[in-house]
Amino acid sequence: MHERTTLLVPYCLILLALAGVPVLAEAQGNYEIQVYGADTVPAGNLMVELHSNFTVDGQKETVDGVYPTNHQEHETLELTEGINDWSEVGLYVFTSEQDGHGVQWVGDHIRPRIRVPEAWGWPVGVSLSTEIGFQRSAYSTDTWTWEIRPIIDKAIGRWYFAINPALERTLHGPDVNQGLGFAPSAKVSYDFTRVVSAGFEYYADYGALRNFATTHDQQQQLFLVTDLNVSPVWEINFGVGIGATGSTDHLIVKAILGRRFDWGRHSAMD
Amino acid sequence: MISRRNLLKLSGLAAVSASLPAVTQEAAPPDYRLDIVPATLELSPRHTLKTLTYNGQAPGPLLRFKEGQPVTIEVTNHSDRPEVVHWHGLFLPTDVDGALEEGTPPIVAGGTARYTFTPRPAGFRWYHTHTMAMGDLTRAQYSGQHGFLMIEPRDNPARYDQEFFLALHDWDGHLLASDDGAMNPHYNVSTINGKTMGAGEPLRVKQGERIVLHVLNSSPTEPHWVALAGHGLRVVALDGNPVPSPQTVPMLRLAPAERVCAIVEMNNPGIWVLGEVRKHLQAAGMAVSVEYANQSGAPQWQQPTDLIWNYQQFAAAHSDDKAADSPVIIPLVFESKFRGHGAMELWTINGKSYPDASAAPLQSGQRYRLQFVNKSMDDHPLHLHRHSFELHRLGAPLGAGKNPAPNRIRGIVKDVVLVDSQTQADVDFTADNPGATLFHCHQQNHMDLGFMMLFNYA
Repeated sequence: MHERTTLLVPYCLILLALAGVPVLAEAQGNYEIQVYGADTVPAGNLMVELHSNFTVDGQKETVDGVYPTNHQEHETLELTEGINDWSEVGLYVFTSEQDGHGVQWVGDHIRPRIRVPEAWGWPVGVSLSTEIGFQRSAYSTDTWTWEIRPIIDKAIGRWYFAINPALERTLHGPDVNQGLGFAPSAKVSYDFTRVVSAGFEYYADYGALRNFATTHDQQQQLFLVTDLNVSPVWEINFGVGIGATGSTDHLIVKAILGRRFDWGRHSAMD
Repeated sequence: MISRRNLLKLSGLAAVSASLPAVTQEAAPPDYRLDIVPATLELSPRHTLKTLTYNGQAPGPLLRFKEGQPVTIEVTNHSDRPEVVHWHGLFLPTDVDGALEEGTPPIVAGGTARYTFTPRPAGFRWYHTHTMAMGDLTRAQYSGQHGFLMIEPRDNPARYDQEFFLALHDWDGHLLASDDGAMNPHYNVSTINGKTMGAGEPLRVKQGERIVLHVLNSSPTEPHWVALAGHGLRVVALDGNPVPSPQTVPMLRLAPAERVCAIVEMNNPGIWVLGEVRKHLQAAGMAVSVEYANQSGAPQWQQPTDLIWNYQQFAAAHSDDKAADSPVIIPLVFESKFRGHGAMELWTINGKSYPDASAAPLQSGQRYRLQFVNKSMDDHPLHLHRHSFELHRLGAPLGAGKNPAPNRIRGIVKDVVLVDSQTQADVDFTADNPGATLFHCHQQNHMDLGFMMLFNYA
């Protein structure tokens, strides 16, 4: 735990200096609901993931031109290619389906990521991803955004812990002058068997880092999740989440189905 | 309990000097001395590593004993924890075999012990620490505590011009998640005789020479395949015991603790690489150059395309009717218990981990067949202390009707055998060395976590 503290202190000091104002612009999240682990995709491998999220009980009104989230089905295709044993690049294609709006393309993001190589033998997994992308104004008034996400994780026996203290910044949109926002997420899970793990995932958006939004305007979500570890090449995750504040969608169900493909020609000699 | 026979054999016992200082001081000088000391090893110019060693080097000094001629080795433990030295492959009494589980006394931190015994059988053996590492990947077999031991036969029939002793070892380990869903050791550096490629002295040979390679895999957990580019390797002994049918093979496979003796005819002048055939392990350093006299240039490597090895090819060609006996069968089923994705697995033999795992007492003089049923997802290098066994049948897939039973093997005598995942292997041995006898997987992380069992004699 000492290592985690050491890493976070300078990071937070920098962010405090850059922080902006507290008001949150209207935007939809919930396209990729996932707490990142520190591992990267192996070199020469392509990870294909489909994130399926349905808002059972969400925003029912159009606000600032942004469509309501209630009963929206979000399908996000995530493609991640492993570059080497310490980096990867991910690409997202966000879509939304909703009565009255049909199937809509929402936007795209690109996400490079680096990690501390396993050979360094650090006691915790550490990686850093940055994500930049566009989303249509019908789904977010801030159309261009950037995120930097430190990732720290650790498996201890049957327990797994991960924390992603992410920072977001608007590049184009109403919040462009509002500085960095703080959007942390975290996960705790327990391995009931070799295949079945279950636990909780927490997602939040506190607004501007130096001046958090009011509780009502913050987003706070807690998901009960399960991971099925059926194979090293498959990723299966299900969850049900509730929103705890007035600005959060109240009930969401999510699923992640991923499959890793190894394009490289490998032999026993490699 | 020390039998009268053992008392007669053990002039000094493996006594602990801390408790019996007079014994150490007044005894005659030993034939050999080993000091367990920390040392900083330069594996390569870029990799130095502080570890426990014998006499400050890894591998430790080559010890040569005469078969049947009593020998005394004095071991002083300069480390901060108890130690014990196992004389791997020898038929020794429990007091000096070097396994705490059998009753060999530990050498306390700062203490000295004497191991006095009559070495047998002849052949290429080795010595190493027999302590537990648990989660510390710098201790026990993860350290540099290993060395070559050659028991010279009374009448040495070997015909060769040079011999080389080579130890394959992996260093600087750390635990990583593996595809089996558990944590397993992975290593940053792999060496031959404690050096990565180019960091140590080459093997210098002359055209027309006949050399013998004594290869030991002292790795804590990893099997290794090695080849000598441009040359075939004529395998003459496995685990130090001559094979019935020597064969020339393109590469050797050695599970942890296995040894192979191979003769090489030096008839292809040049500078060649002897190393791991798998690219990532050779890149991690496990290679050494072989230099013919009056040759120059960069070492040449010829990359094999397949991993090729089987024990059966060295077996006797014809059946031996005398071996058609009826041994008592002892089934041993190996399984793992999941303890979380963030932990190493726990191992069981017949459903129980050490020290709870047990078998019926052995009857002295009885022939036994150990049936290894490996239900786990890992291969296991299995070692029986103080005895040798004869391979009987290997590679039978688990589950009825999958494949016909593999052919019987005859004449291959070993003390370690690698049993593949999801297969059954049968080996035969005669209970001819009374006393507690340790049986275990030689993967350090497996024996640490339950994969051991004691056989006791009735």
